[in-house]
Amino acid sequence: MERNLASTNSVMATKDDKKRKRTIRSESSTDMGIAGIEIKKIKSGETIRKDSRTSLFYTEEEEVDTRDPKNDLELFRTACNEVENAARKIHDLKKKKMHATSEIESSRVQASLQFVILKKLNRLAHIRCKKVREKTNEAKQDIEHQHLQLQNMLYETMHLEKEITKCLEFKSKDEEIELVPESDFYRDAPEAISRPEKTKSDEHQRTLARLDWELEQRMQLFLKLKDAQGKRENIEKDIKTKEEYLNNLHPKLDSILSATKPVQDYLEMPFERIREQHQVAGHLPHPLYVLFMQASAYKQACDKYLNVTIEGDIDTAKSFDMSTPDLDEDSDSEQEEQEKASSKRRRKTTDIRKLERKDKVLRKHPLSVLLEVKTKDGNKLCLTFYYLVALHIITVSIKLETGQDAVTSSVSGEDLLSPDSILCDLYAGDHGNTTPNPANHYELNRLGLREFGQYIVQVGLPYLWAQWLGGLDFLADRNLQRPQSAVSAGHMQKTIKELRKRVSSRLSLLRQLSSLERNAVSVISQYQSLFPTKIVSQLTSWKRSTYNDFCSLSHTKTVMDADLVSENDMYFVMVASRGTARLTSQVVIAHDYPAVAPLFVVSVKWRTERTAVNDYHIRKMEEEVNVHYNELIIPQSRDQILSNQIQRLLMCFDIYLETEVENINNGVSEIAKEKVFPRCSRGPNRNKPFRYCSEVGIFTHR
Amino acid sequence: MKLNEIQDRTLATRKLLHTTVFAQCFSPCGRYIAAANNYGNIAIFSLSAVLSPEATDDSFKPIYTFVASEEGAIFCLASTDILLISAGAGNIHAWKWADILNKAPKQVWAWAVPKKNQFTIPEVNSIVVDQQEESSSRLFAGCGDNDVHVWDMEAGQQLVSLSGHEDYIHCVATKNKGRECVSASEDGTIRIWDSRTEGEAVHIIEPYKQEICARPEFGKWLGCVAMDPSEDWLVCGGGPQLSLWHLRSINPTTTFDTPGATQKHVMFYEDAMISAGSKPLVHHWYINGDLKSEVPCTPTSVFNVSINTNSDTHKVLCVAGNSAKIDVCTNFGYRASSLIFTQD
Repeated sequence: MERNLASTNSVMATKDDKKRKRTIRSESSTDMGIAGIEIKKIKSGETIRKDSRTSLFYTEEEEVDTRDPKNDLELFRTACNEVENAARKIHDLKKKKMHATSEIESSRVQASLQFVILKKLNRLAHIRCKKVREKTNEAKQDIEHQHLQLQNMLYETMHLEKEITKCLEFKSKDEEIELVPESDFYRDAPEAISRPEKTKSDEHQRTLARLDWELEQRMQLFLKLKDAQGKRENIEKDIKTKEEYLNNLHPKLDSILSATKPVQDYLEMPFERIREQHQVAGHLPHPLYVLFMQASAYKQACDKYLNVTIEGDIDTAKSFDMSTPDLDEDSDSEQEEQEKASSKRRRKTTDIRKLERKDKVLRKHPLSVLLEVKTKDGNKLCLTFYYLVALHIITVSIKLETGQDAVTSSVSGEDLLSPDSILCDLYAGDHGNTTPNPANHYELNRLGLREFGQYIVQVGLPYLWAQWLGGLDFLADRNLQRPQSAVSAGHMQKTIKELRKRVSSRLSLLRQLSSLERNAVSVISQYQSLFPTKIVSQLTSWKRSTYNDFCSLSHTKTVMDADLVSENDMYFVMVASRGTARLTSQVVIAHDYPAVAPLFVVSVKWRTERTAVNDYHIRKMEEEVNVHYNELIIPQSRDQILSNQIQRLLMCFDIYLETEVENINNGVSEIAKEKVFPRCSRGPNRNKPFRYCSEVGIFTHR
Repeated sequence: MKLNEIQDRTLATRKLLHTTVFAQCFSPCGRYIAAANNYGNIAIFSLSAVLSPEATDDSFKPIYTFVASEEGAIFCLASTDILLISAGAGNIHAWKWADILNKAPKQVWAWAVPKKNQFTIPEVNSIVVDQQEESSSRLFAGCGDNDVHVWDMEAGQQLVSLSGHEDYIHCVATKNKGRECVSASEDGTIRIWDSRTEGEAVHIIEPYKQEICARPEFGKWLGCVAMDPSEDWLVCGGGPQLSLWHLRSINPTTTFDTPGATQKHVMFYEDAMISAGSKPLVHHWYINGDLKSEVPCTPTSVFNVSINTNSDTHKVLCVAGNSAKIDVCTNFGYRASSLIFTQD
């Protein structure tokens, strides 16, 4: 590069070569002895100042400004070329070995002179370079200054913008106040405030006016409030004084009441006692209250042999928490946690917890209603009604106090008067072994308790009629909380009647059973005419049986299929015999006896085993007692039906045996013909003369 | 009253359990069946309803029932083209089929069996209407007074009484276009009568004296008798074994063995014989004494088996006995369904 530059300089130098040569020559002729620096100035060919060196120096600086750098470049090149040419020429001459020393010398001088020019040009280039640098520096400084100014300006604008947004965001207090709508404002506000002529056009003024109006209105309302509060205080004061007055009145009334007590006693008017009962009744749970009121009403109206009282501790009842206790598992665990904290009963087994939960569910109300139903023959049925608070049902515990002449001892019928059997099926299907409230089932289930039936011993029997007497009707009305008096009133009379009927029929049945156990069929005089005087077949045994035993017999299937017996019924077995013939009969007595007549299922063992299945006549015998029992009943003494049926069965057994003997062979037999019957058999079924005609004392066919 | 309702319902169930259907009879059109029970009721069932594929539980109950006899059981039914005749304890009653099917049964006439003693009214155990003679059809009734009484159906007049049996008559049949009458009796004899005149029986057959059919353990009584269409053969049964008799020689030729069971009904049907009795079975026999089939049925003791020949579409075999259920067999080989004789 440098060489190139050097070559260009030399080319430049050679351009003005001839002219300079000339001037230099002319000058050199005059000032040969002057120093090299002065020669350079002469070379430039302009004004030559010979005053001082410094001025010369500065002149050169000025000279730079006037000279064209391109010309200088040209000059430089020519100078370089000159030198080169001279060098070559010298070289060529030397090569030719021609001894042209002068020529060589002149060429050498010429070349050396060119160096002077080159030096000058070099200097000029340096100066120029320096100048350019200075200029650039200056420009740079100027730019920097400008830049600084620009940044200042930008910063200022930013600040101003911030201020502007701040101003714009400013919130006025009045914006939070809810003002009445503009239309209302112009309608309601007086002219003085609204000044429509001004505010309609100016929004600011309008807002101010609206604010003024708001203030005005609020002031007015505040005044009103103060006024009302004052009035209220006055009224409260009034009430207080009146209450005080009433409170003072109560002891006075009490004293008056106690003062009248001797008068009441004297006049034998037990108002006070009844009043006390009624006061206690006020603490009864609602269903028991209904029961108590209805029973009392019924007693007063039409039944003197009824007695209704409330039992239990009134104070406990007062403090008794009627609300259904929270039975959730959660509450239990909470409790447990608390107990854990107290650390005393930490190890509480699940059994105990279950027990507690059970107690909670089966909680009775402390008050109960005792209903005593007396019968004419001195028996008394005591029914105590309880209310289970959590389950919303009434239970009843039963006690029978029998009169003196009642027979109560019977082996086969020992449970007839037991509390859980005596009132079973008082109404059809009411066994009292499940809860009448369907919701209870789920509740018990949820708490992991067993079926309600398991707790009956503990809580009493939840008969349907007990619910009815308490005004609860679970089938008709799902609303448990509101017992209906009408329900209770609707069932009261009938239930009391049924209760009395049940007691007397049970006692009568018991009397018959105890007689049957002694193998005696006691037919009371009214019915004697239904049977012949002599019946040979004898009852030999009367025992209690069970449903399962009944089911296990093969010939009871038809009866079971016809749905004539149920598990709740009472089962007995009677055995009668005549000679070697034995009659065994299953006797099914429903709890509803005598409304439902006992059912007999007969089998006869005489040579072969005969039942209704394989012997048509056994079927007919059963029909005589099971279907045609109405002939054995006089409405007043329906209770006797069992004895009458058995007596008829024995009679039929006699006929059966006697006709069988007749039919088969006329030879000697252990069965003698005792009865009179004109025909042995009749009809396609060869029916036997099971019907007794008491008027003539013979047996005919049905 | 609620209590009475329960009593009534219980009694109704017990009555149903003790129902015995003694007789059944198809209407002339063959679409209905009338059945009579031990309480004196007649029930009408619709066979078309029973046999239809859409039969419901109600189809098997009577269309309706009516009281046909106040005195008690009805033992037999017979049918003519226009009349249904019922008899049993008490009088013989006739009802018009047309009225019955209109659900308004009206008694057309009632004939009383002549009374012999004061204590009992003789029952009618079997009736047969003989329609062979165009001039006058006659009614034969085997009665509890040991006689067969014959009435003229048109005149309503009792023609003859055939007496000679020593005990009551279980079953009657006619022979020789009604000129002769056959009766089976409790006394153990079959008697063949000339039905045109009163007098002694023409023939007396005593199966209990024949070794091949006597069964002393069941007694000598005869519960059923039937004639084959050619009238050469007679079949009878009861205490003695069911037996086939050749009439010309009056000799038992075949016995039909029913161990432990007495037969109460027997009939010829096509080339076979059907019998039933004190076991829950209907026997189909070949004439040679072989058992063709034994069809189990609901009643434990069967009193009547009837085949509906009045209508081809409703050709069924019905079995009635000591049950409220009457078995219906469309194919005679098995029980298809059961009608139920309910009281309501």
